[in-house]
Amino acid sequence: MWQYEKKLQYPVKIKTPNPATAKIIITQFGGPDGELGAATRYLSQRYTAPCSEVKAILNDIGTEELGHIEMICSIVYQLTRNLSMKEIKESGFDTYFVDHTAGLYPIAASGVPFSAQTFQSTGDPLADLTEDMAAEQKARLSYDNILRLVDDPDVRDVIKFLREREIVHFQRFGEAMRLVTDQLDSKNFYAFNPSFDK
Amino acid sequence: MAETTTNKEKMLKTVQVYSFAVTEASLFLDTHPDCREALEYYNKYKALCSEAKAAYEEKYGPLTISSDANSSAWKWAKTPWPWEICAYEEA
Repeated sequence: MWQYEKKLQYPVKIKTPNPATAKIIITQFGGPDGELGAATRYLSQRYTAPCSEVKAILNDIGTEELGHIEMICSIVYQLTRNLSMKEIKESGFDTYFVDHTAGLYPIAASGVPFSAQTFQSTGDPLADLTEDMAAEQKARLSYDNILRLVDDPDVRDVIKFLREREIVHFQRFGEAMRLVTDQLDSKNFYAFNPSFDK
Repeated sequence: MAETTTNKEKMLKTVQVYSFAVTEASLFLDTHPDCREALEYYNKYKALCSEAKAAYEEKYGPLTISSDANSSAWKWAKTPWPWEICAYEEA
């Protein structure tokens, strides 16, 4: 069960709307390395994690990612407020607008809708945690690329915060991986699925 | 839109700063549950976070649906949502 807090994890206050920037940022909502995929990945994987500490980290990072979905959507929402039809047409936002107006829909910057095919939940913690560490690096580089593309300091400030979170999560997943491998014993020295092969 | 920082924004930022410290300590404790130093850090910022949330809620309304700030009137549905720019403005 979750309880909602009526605040963002980090403030999002964008002074100047910019629909072209919104089209880039939205990839961290519904794109292949976005926050929706991250939250869904960790919150799906947690059930079959082999020990309480690993269940805890998947649960709590997954929960933080829900807050990051909200921050990304807040950026997109604020970048697309009060737009004129002229701005919509000239910015290239028209291809999104035709289907969604200014509604939030999980999509990659390329226009491909969110897909669960972007992640796995294998039931094997060694495979899952290895994927999770890679996922944090892929999200980090997506934020690096956003920082190469976007000049608005109000947007960049939030993106820099989210980038740092990827680095911390990578570290925590690395520790979770160590916890799992430390619990392998001589009967499972070759690391068959420690959640299934008892 | 006002460029200045409102009191509401400052009080919210205080909540966000302490909440962040609590979140960060929580994740560390998940993989280091026997670390006394981390637990002390967590307890320190948990207390500061609770104080900051109570001060904010008394002035600007509920942060959670079960908050006491809802008990005399259902402010939950009336106060701005976090993605709105007006959430940073004085009511």
